[in-house]
Amino acid sequence: MSTLDRLRGIVQGTKPSAVPIATSSQPDIASAASTLGGSVRERAEGGVIVVDREYRADDLHGCCRIGDIIETLNEERDALAAIARAWPTKALSSPLLFLDLETTGLFTGAGTQAFLVGCAVIDGDAICVRQFLMPGFEHERAVLAELAAFAARHGALVTYNGKTFDVPLIETRFLFHRLPFPLAETPHLDMLHPARRLWRGRPATAGPDPDESSCSLSVLEKHLAGLHRVGDVPGFEIPSRYFQFVRDGDARPLEAVLEHNRLDLVSLAAVMARALTLVSRGPLESSNPHECLGLARLYERAGSHDNAEGALLRCIDLAKRIGSEPDVHADALRRLAWIRRRAGRVHEAAEAWRELAILPRCAGSLRREAKEALAIYHEHRSRDLGEARSLVLDVLKDDLEGNRKAAAEHRLQRLDRKLAVREQGGLVAALDDTLGSGLT
Amino acid sequence: MASDKATLPARRSLEHKQVALQSALHVLASGTELDRADTPDEVVTAVRRLPAVEAAYAPFPAGIDPRLRAAFEARGVQQLYTHQAEAFDLVTQGRHVVVTTPTASGKTLCYNLPVLDRILKNPATRALYLFPTKALAQDQMAELHELVGAISKVAGDENEIGVHTYDGDTPQDARRTIRTKAHIVLSNPDMVHSGILPHHPRWAKLFENLQFIIIDELHAYRGVFGSHLANVLRRLQRICRHYGSNPQFICSSATIANPSELAAGLAERPFSLVSKSGAPRGEKFFVFVNPPVVNRELGIRKSYVAESRRVAGEFLRRNLQVIVFAQSRTTTEILTTYLKEDFEDVPGMPERIRGYRGGYLPLRRREIEKGLRAGEVRGVVSTNALELGIDIGALDVCVMAGYPGTIASTWQRAGRAGRRTGQSAAVMVSSSAPIDQFVVRHPSYFFDASPEHALVNPDNLHILVDHVKCAAFELPFTTEETYGQVNVQEVLGVLQESGLVHRSGHEDEAGQWHWTSESYPANAVSLRSISSDNFVITDHTSGAKVIGETDFTSALSTLHPKAIYMVEGKIFQVEELDFVGRKAHVKEVDCDYYTTAITYTKVTILGRFAADSPSVALHGEVHVVSRVVGFKKIKFHTNENVGSGELDLPEQQMHTTSYWLEIPLAMMNMLPYATDDRRDGVVGLAFAMKQVAQLLLMCDARDVGLSVNAGETDGDDTPRIFIYDAYPGGIGFSAPLWGMQRELLSKASALIAGCDCETGCPTCVGPVGETGPLAKTVALRLLEHLLTGAAELPPPAISSPEDLVPF
Repeated sequence: MSTLDRLRGIVQGTKPSAVPIATSSQPDIASAASTLGGSVRERAEGGVIVVDREYRADDLHGCCRIGDIIETLNEERDALAAIARAWPTKALSSPLLFLDLETTGLFTGAGTQAFLVGCAVIDGDAICVRQFLMPGFEHERAVLAELAAFAARHGALVTYNGKTFDVPLIETRFLFHRLPFPLAETPHLDMLHPARRLWRGRPATAGPDPDESSCSLSVLEKHLAGLHRVGDVPGFEIPSRYFQFVRDGDARPLEAVLEHNRLDLVSLAAVMARALTLVSRGPLESSNPHECLGLARLYERAGSHDNAEGALLRCIDLAKRIGSEPDVHADALRRLAWIRRRAGRVHEAAEAWRELAILPRCAGSLRREAKEALAIYHEHRSRDLGEARSLVLDVLKDDLEGNRKAAAEHRLQRLDRKLAVREQGGLVAALDDTLGSGLT
Repeated sequence: MASDKATLPARRSLEHKQVALQSALHVLASGTELDRADTPDEVVTAVRRLPAVEAAYAPFPAGIDPRLRAAFEARGVQQLYTHQAEAFDLVTQGRHVVVTTPTASGKTLCYNLPVLDRILKNPATRALYLFPTKALAQDQMAELHELVGAISKVAGDENEIGVHTYDGDTPQDARRTIRTKAHIVLSNPDMVHSGILPHHPRWAKLFENLQFIIIDELHAYRGVFGSHLANVLRRLQRICRHYGSNPQFICSSATIANPSELAAGLAERPFSLVSKSGAPRGEKFFVFVNPPVVNRELGIRKSYVAESRRVAGEFLRRNLQVIVFAQSRTTTEILTTYLKEDFEDVPGMPERIRGYRGGYLPLRRREIEKGLRAGEVRGVVSTNALELGIDIGALDVCVMAGYPGTIASTWQRAGRAGRRTGQSAAVMVSSSAPIDQFVVRHPSYFFDASPEHALVNPDNLHILVDHVKCAAFELPFTTEETYGQVNVQEVLGVLQESGLVHRSGHEDEAGQWHWTSESYPANAVSLRSISSDNFVITDHTSGAKVIGETDFTSALSTLHPKAIYMVEGKIFQVEELDFVGRKAHVKEVDCDYYTTAITYTKVTILGRFAADSPSVALHGEVHVVSRVVGFKKIKFHTNENVGSGELDLPEQQMHTTSYWLEIPLAMMNMLPYATDDRRDGVVGLAFAMKQVAQLLLMCDARDVGLSVNAGETDGDDTPRIFIYDAYPGGIGFSAPLWGMQRELLSKASALIAGCDCETGCPTCVGPVGETGPLAKTVALRLLEHLLTGAAELPPPAISSPEDLVPF
């Protein structure tokens, strides 16, 4: 057996080749560019295929008007600032640069490259998408140089999952070529995080597909923008389409990849616009208790407790009316109670706890937490020791674990002592009151 | 370091200990001198005295950074041992250095000193330390932190030297800092392979400034693991060239026959050897114990575990600190239990006897190590987990329950006992395994011969191809680049056929090979085996849960239907082997037997590397087809054959390298025995040769396979004994075995001749019942002819290369 045959046995034995590999001529960059409707930019480092597309104000993205998206992105500066407070980044100075990469793999190691860098910016009343396509592996430095020049003209990055994937990956590419990373100091908003807060696990919109409850951009664009893609290229197919192009020079299969990337970028802008609208107009904009709860949590993170309370009230109201969201309802009541408690509004906090304690189908642990909080309230604030005692007894009916049980029993003993003293009346009781008032 | 000070109370306890040690040794080897001629037929076959060695000091080298010197002086170290100074000088001259001084000779300073010196002189300097296990890296970090602390006291905190481990346990948030700030990164080859090299752009600062690669416990990297490491080092040096660095290697190794060759084989650089230790050593007694024969006919001896228990007890009773090395986790637990029982009546003593093995939680291990250093733990029974450099201080006595398998590792374990002053002892209690019996009956093989060779084969195509893939992912290959001894351009061409790489640039110009697969190749390559294809074992006793895994090669012989599979003392039976799904379904059973597979092996010679040699032995490339055709049930304890079964399993094929011995038909026909007896003789000889081959090759029983063509008829088939590399592609055993043929045959002869049994036993030519009554006699006659008359016989006629033989 020749070495060549043995090598073939070893290589193909472990991973048979799915398709016969045709390696024909080198890609003809100019013809590839014209196939994709772009142009070639020659630099000292190599060539880049640049594809420009414009989405005008009256174009529709799903059921969203591009003009409306732009207007929201331009005008809701306060909402943007609130989001930036919630997920701290440097001030998000405009103009925004929406960034999305298509890569040769999902693993962010030295051998994974970004073959397509998609950038979207707002230019007047249009969203302009500019895509840099690497015509071959040897042209990577040219793509990076183009990106660096383009990014230098824009203020802040907006991505979807870019903190974990896109930005580290592109940073690795610059490091690989031992070039300074031009985006190191650029403020960066990863929309995945606010989107998760607002929209994760919305059963109201979840379909039979288990993936539907995820917060992927493709799920959100369907629900938030009403976009249904036709003939979209599935993500797992993207690297092999590029490899095929590198081998045979035929750019046609890449057209769908470029379109996929453009739609991702516009959807990112649409999702961001929706988030800004919600944050800016408040909970009345929404009729979904999940969304209102998410909004409240976003406000909380951003430090706007008044807004958070409003969103929670709206959430509770909607949950009551729909009646099918006990978990959301309970969570909202609990958060409401804590917000009020932290603001020193103990009586209002107690109201929320009381509501939670009697909420049907509420999780046992939450109900117990509510009763414990109410017992504290009655012992130290309302001075209704009898009520506090019956709440503690109630809590003790459950099977409690070590610490919690000990705490409840301790509370019961103290209440019994206080009640005994109170029966004696007089000075001792008064003294006990003054001593106890400091406690919670 | 030379800071031993013998104070008065210490001296008194020293004398006390010497009396105790001598007394225990006299009980073991009653009535004999503590250094005497070997007596192979007695229970104590050897008692040797290794005299004390005085320290040899050298001043600190003139060029050493004054802050480093001051830090040592502040800790009471005024001078170095000669080997430490020698290593420092060689490193300063820019040489790659391998150090092979004994355990506890201050070997680590041989690399820590030049590394810290360079860092102090140029804080940009980076060093990468590789240890075979995570635990060793942790241990070294503790030692380095102490040194670095001492330096900071002298040099000031602004000169703080960063020392960090980087392995699978390193928290994500610490990794970024380590990549840029650590001067010394302590890691392991697996982490470099899958965690550092694929991310080299993030390690740019390290690679740009990498001046040292330290490989500790170099001897651990032999066979498959070593061949993988050699390829990881090729990739590492490739990345260093990309970043413009050219690091120096400093390696430390246990005593093996070929340290410079092994280092050169792994790093592909020439090495200077530092082997003469300047560290003092106390007097040491080395004793070989062969448990007494209890059944002469079957060659059965008293259990070596019981004998080890007795020996360890003699020392523990005299309040000497003892480490017992056992061969398996199970034996470790059994011996620990026995020894605790023996000291039940001594208050507090059972708690001071501990077990130690892989699988214990790190916290418990640290506690035992600390107890040993402090002297609170009086006895520890361990697997080889404590053989490598974990710091447990120096104990008084080392008892080895069973021969550790190699000379190198026996010395390494024995080195766990013995301080720089005072006496210590090491006792090896042999089991009845052939290798053990050979060594215990031929003490001079151990004491007077060179230790084993450690072998690697970095150009094993299977291993190399995997690493070429990883390397292509890390950095595109240029069309001019070379890699190892094979034509890497040809390898890349084949990878391109499968679409894994793509050559850029025009065909007639220089270009690059780019990785074109979304997969991450390092994930598919495990450094500890040749193929990451494995079988998972699922227990269905109550619900399904995975209880283990087995590599592909041994799956069919250990996981065939009805096979008994054991894990931690529990017995399972294989219900179903899902070959396609690579799963074995087992259920717990209660039975008193285990199974061994019957495998038929057919070896076809593909090419001869030494065909023009006049001798009868050859080596070359072979094709091995093996099929598990049945199994035997063997009763526990008595080892009786209590049944068998037939199996219908797919055959396995492998292309590998083999050494073989051809027995000329003329020689066969000269033997005055019947055909069957001649055949038994060849099979018996093969059995003995395989045992000896393992001994010479420093390898596991699983690393080599055996196949015999015993000349089934009087026809023209020349009998052949194949000892082949049990890994696809070969791991480099066949050529050295061919080179050591004479030693192989003479040692096989000594093994068989020296065995006490009458007609053959598992210790020499194989168990009775599997070999015929004359196997032992015929095998010895054959060896006689082979060793004397071989050269005079005409070269064998090369006959049909296809041999189908049951074994």
